[in-house]
Amino acid sequence: MSAIGLLAAETGDREELSLLLGELGHRVDGAARLDQAVESARAGRSRAFLVVDGGGADAEVLTRELVRAYPLMPVVVALKTRDATRAVALMRAGAFEVVAPPWTREDLKACVSKSLRFTGTALTPMRLAPRRRSSAWYVLAVGAFFAVALGAASLRRAEQLRRAEAARVDHWDLPVSHPAGLAFDGADLWVVDWFSQSLYQHARADAKVLGLRHLPAETPVAAAFATDAVWTATADGAVVRRMKNDKLTPLERFPHRAPGAAGIAFDGLYLWTLDAHAKVLRKHLLDAELTVLSTHRAAGLKPVALVWDGGALWTLDAGDRLLRRLDLEHPEQFVAAIPLPEYGDGVFAPTGLSWDGERFWTVAERRDGKGPARLFRHRLEGVR
Amino acid sequence: MRRAPGLIPVLLAFPPEAARQDAWGRLLKLTSGGAELSTAVRLLKGETLLLAFELGGETFDAVRARVEHAEDDADGHRLAELKFLDEVQRRSLAKALTGLLARS
Repeated sequence: MSAIGLLAAETGDREELSLLLGELGHRVDGAARLDQAVESARAGRSRAFLVVDGGGADAEVLTRELVRAYPLMPVVVALKTRDATRAVALMRAGAFEVVAPPWTREDLKACVSKSLRFTGTALTPMRLAPRRRSSAWYVLAVGAFFAVALGAASLRRAEQLRRAEAARVDHWDLPVSHPAGLAFDGADLWVVDWFSQSLYQHARADAKVLGLRHLPAETPVAAAFATDAVWTATADGAVVRRMKNDKLTPLERFPHRAPGAAGIAFDGLYLWTLDAHAKVLRKHLLDAELTVLSTHRAAGLKPVALVWDGGALWTLDAGDRLLRRLDLEHPEQFVAAIPLPEYGDGVFAPTGLSWDGERFWTVAERRDGKGPARLFRHRLEGVR
Repeated sequence: MRRAPGLIPVLLAFPPEAARQDAWGRLLKLTSGGAELSTAVRLLKGETLLLAFELGGETFDAVRARVEHAEDDADGHRLAELKFLDEVQRRSLAKALTGLLARS
């Protein structure tokens, strides 16, 4: 509740306005003359003035005097006759609000409450009008925001799905049924098929057959590509060094150097062979005899393939379906293992292993011997 | 944005076809492009009106404006967003505002 100083020359106006202001919860200090109103305000009781224009009183003069005496106290003028030009003149004289007749409780309430908390006009030379947005605009803006957010989330999700799709394990059925080994020459994959005595060259992207090398003089079971040569192991235990040309021309043959051979790998210095029957690894010196430097028990249940990934030797185990990373100092021990859930259903038996610089590849034949072999591209998850 | 010591009073006139009495109000915000007006008279969106007010000693008469948005405020007065329609008047207003703000 605020005290309002009421200045009206006529008693009827004072009574009417006092009643209306009282209904609004304000205490009224009525005055008929300016000096009475000033005296009342000086006593500190009033927070605003309500001045009646007309009835023998000039509100413009009264307003100027009140504003001069109390510049921080708002003055509201109540017109007895509606006149917009007069209202504006009164406001220019210092009146904060002007109430048009007939005086109503609602008009008085709005004007008095505004005058009790007035501020100045905000000025800016900006060209555009200040925008007051409708609720529909905000709804549209929020909707647009969510649409953009959902769109971005959808694109991100699509990108994630695309990456997941690219990262998932792929497999392709091969035109052979009896693969024994797998090798990578830096660009393409080579599937060693003992039954057709051939090496099949496959594209890494889609396993498309790019070429075929038939080796009628031997039964290849494993192959490895070195910098300057191709090494193959045969079913009769021989190791053959070949040229890296279109025909894989044999250069040197080492009989009985890899009995029971199932895998062959070159680590840049030594040649390694895996004897699946004896479950041993042999380390060979690249001399004229392909001398065996050491022999190590191969870890696992049924190691069937061997590969060098540029830093370590790995074996592929068809028994427990694991890739094992061997400790080069003690090759009978392994330091990491990767499960191959792709073989969990037992339909295929892995027989060959390769590394393309990024991922492992395996080749497998059906256990029932009926149907094409399959080439798998593996993820690198699950190292333990 | 600067703030004047008081709210600028404004006389509101309407085109003859509107057949409405002149009214008055206060400018809560003023830019060269438009204004925000508080008035007791009921204004509707899309309505055209003519403003007369003083700014920094300069008088602006019959400034054509259109009500872009209007709503009732908490006190029951009408709060209207106005857009000034006349380019010449806009430029004059911009000049006056710039001069006024530069002086203050």
